[in-house]
Amino acid sequence: MRYLARRLAQFIPTLLGVVLLVFLVFNWVGGDPAYILAGKIANPERIEEIRRGLGVDQPYWVQLWIFVKQVAVGDFGASWSTNERVSQIFATRLGPSLTVLIPLLVVSTILAMALAMLVAYCRGSLIDRTVMIACTVAQSISILVYILVFQYLFAYKLGWFPVQGWGGTLGVNLFAYAALPILVGVVVSLAPDIRLYRSFFLEEINQDYVRTARAKGLGEGRVMWLHVLRNAAIPIITNVMTMIPGLLAGAFLIERFFSIPGIGREVILAVERSDFPVIKAITIYVAIATMVVNLAADLVYRALDPRVQLR
Amino acid sequence: MRVLLLVVGFCALGAHAADPAKILRITFQAAETGFDPVKVSDYYSGTVIEAIFDPLLTYDYLARPAKLVPNTAEALPQISEGGRTYRLKVRPGIYFADDAVFKGAKRELTAPDYAYSLGRFLEPKNRSPYAFLFEGIAAIETPDRYTLVIRLKQPDLNFSHVLAFSLAGAVAREAIEAYGDESAARPVGTGPFRLKRYVRSSKIVLEANPGYREVVRDGERLPRIGGVEISIMEETQSRWLAFQRGETDMEYQLAEVAPTFITAQGTLRPELARRGIQLERSIDPEIIYLYFNMQDKTVGGLAKEKIALRRAIAMAYRIEDQIRIIRKGQAIRAHYPIPPGVAGHDPEYRSSIEHDARAANALLDKFNYRRGTDGYRRMPNGEPLVIRYSSTPSERDRQFDELMKRSLDSISVRLEIHKDRFPELIKLENQCRLMMRGAAWIADYPDGDNFMQLLYGPNSGQSNNACYRSPEYDKRYEKSRLLPHGPERDKLYREMTRIMETDTVWLLTDSRYRNVLLQPHVKGFKKHPVLHAEWLYIDLALPR
Repeated sequence: MRYLARRLAQFIPTLLGVVLLVFLVFNWVGGDPAYILAGKIANPERIEEIRRGLGVDQPYWVQLWIFVKQVAVGDFGASWSTNERVSQIFATRLGPSLTVLIPLLVVSTILAMALAMLVAYCRGSLIDRTVMIACTVAQSISILVYILVFQYLFAYKLGWFPVQGWGGTLGVNLFAYAALPILVGVVVSLAPDIRLYRSFFLEEINQDYVRTARAKGLGEGRVMWLHVLRNAAIPIITNVMTMIPGLLAGAFLIERFFSIPGIGREVILAVERSDFPVIKAITIYVAIATMVVNLAADLVYRALDPRVQLR
Repeated sequence: MRVLLLVVGFCALGAHAADPAKILRITFQAAETGFDPVKVSDYYSGTVIEAIFDPLLTYDYLARPAKLVPNTAEALPQISEGGRTYRLKVRPGIYFADDAVFKGAKRELTAPDYAYSLGRFLEPKNRSPYAFLFEGIAAIETPDRYTLVIRLKQPDLNFSHVLAFSLAGAVAREAIEAYGDESAARPVGTGPFRLKRYVRSSKIVLEANPGYREVVRDGERLPRIGGVEISIMEETQSRWLAFQRGETDMEYQLAEVAPTFITAQGTLRPELARRGIQLERSIDPEIIYLYFNMQDKTVGGLAKEKIALRRAIAMAYRIEDQIRIIRKGQAIRAHYPIPPGVAGHDPEYRSSIEHDARAANALLDKFNYRRGTDGYRRMPNGEPLVIRYSSTPSERDRQFDELMKRSLDSISVRLEIHKDRFPELIKLENQCRLMMRGAAWIADYPDGDNFMQLLYGPNSGQSNNACYRSPEYDKRYEKSRLLPHGPERDKLYREMTRIMETDTVWLLTDSRYRNVLLQPHVKGFKKHPVLHAEWLYIDLALPR
């Protein structure tokens, strides 16, 4: 409990650091939004009027204090370009992002674990070398290429999936529109995941407890699926959990090409429009999600391995 | 009673011709920002607004150049006091689309609705990007329920175009007040369509407004289609593949892949034509140009050697390469500041500035811009000559940078590329602090005045990005403002163009083609220069 309280207390200085960084970066490279919002022709009085309306005419310390208060109460106001509440933006964009990300993570993790265990088990064999070479090649290809080729081949040429789109129900989205983006995501993440998880499995396979289990006459299946998998799962789960916040905001290419109204696409839109309320909310949410997920990963680690002590 | 109900039902069916089975599927390449007319400036939001709201005036769908016609007004405005007063009458019997805000009652469109809607552009809290179009209004009066009198601060014979502007449609005060910040997502208008489903930045579904007034074309009541389904697709590949797969009915944002469906002669490739795909090609009512800051100490001013320097740079610039390489052939050379399709355009006019690097070099030699030991030219007083060209860090602008570098290399003039974010460039431009930059202007309304004002001295720091102040130009511009479109005003425009060209303030480069691809079942489409929601006039041949 003390551990939990200490970790939660550490959130505050970390978050303040993020707030300061976001504020400095935006004011340094963001540009004056009044000149975008002013339209084609605007006189200096109108520009000043807009700056007043946005609050960017205030001294920097006042703007920073407003930002800190917004983070404290979790209300980032409304988007500068659409007037939509930022909370509403997140509430409506999270669902589509998760519709793609959850199946993607589940499928890719299961597949990568199974394949990694296989190649780790037959380390040095032809299968191992072939899979490793294939992974290296696959990893060196940009995600953009996968998207372009898969969209062209599976959607346009073969017609197995719609080229793009998003429907009104979960069933339609999951099985029609999200299927191809999930496939692309799985293929892209398989190669690095297999390489990483293979190293986790190899580390476990060489442990004394594995040798002991074999010496006691346990079958290979039981050794691998019960003992090795359970121990290798700990860093794998940590890895998967820490990927989630980044994936939410980082899936913008998939979301743009397949017209999925998710968070990643919103990030790009906000950057293109210099929409500071949305940018700062996304940054703060991702920072908080990262901290929470890291904490959760540590707790899961402890639950899976009683030897781990949280101090 | 049953018979009466049947008759009423039959009449209602006949009165509303829109076929709910006919849904037009189109795409936007960028997300909309909302549907409150005073709060938007982007093309996409404006297109949807045009379909939902009704301005007093509009343009004839087929007439070229664009021709003003009454929309919800009974007739074109009565203009008096030399263009200072506009009087219009709103047609009785036009109703807003049903909405909960009206509590089940029919809500008629009246003159005070327009007074309120136009006035909103000038309310500071709305931060309207198009406030500049309405700043000339001194007062709006509504002597009776249907009469609207607009008094202007200065005479303006082009104000009718402002009344036809697609964002100048009528909103209902009670809807705006009831929905507040949400009004951008809850549009209530009198137009042919109404919003049915809206997922911001993803999907906009419109349905034919069942209470739309009677508008008949070719014996059929409009709109013929039951709705429009708009998908936001940012990526060209997605739009192109979706169109080819038949997932969309119309596509007009494929400039990057135009050579894959258009031949060098500008016709549709035979394999697409064989499938019945249609191509509708038009020139956008826009001009693209390079401007020199006339207040800059290196390139500005009206001294002969400064004019010679600007002229030499303009002559060195390779417009043909810009069209061939950057535009992939999908543009035409712009000679006149008023583009085709806009009142005042002169198709016979030819720019006196043609690409000729040899003549440009000779001109610089004549005015003592001598080459230094490093091979680059110096100012006549011996100081280094560096042209500072500003652009954004985008991929598209990098192509322009390279073209500019090659062009200036051909006359041995050193180029420095100044990179900055778009808002910062606009800020510097408004302060007359950029030396040279590329710019574009698309018509807000299809009249030459909208373009010629770009060089009017008092507009420096606003739309006059060259900060050009020429008494000769300004005198003619002020005179042109008091003239209607016609030979007398056209003559003034030609003179103004020659003055600008002699001073070499701009180098007009090009105007882009708009290539609209249509599936075989789309009927009745013709691209209008300034109307964008042509859906009112379109029909779809069923079954698909």
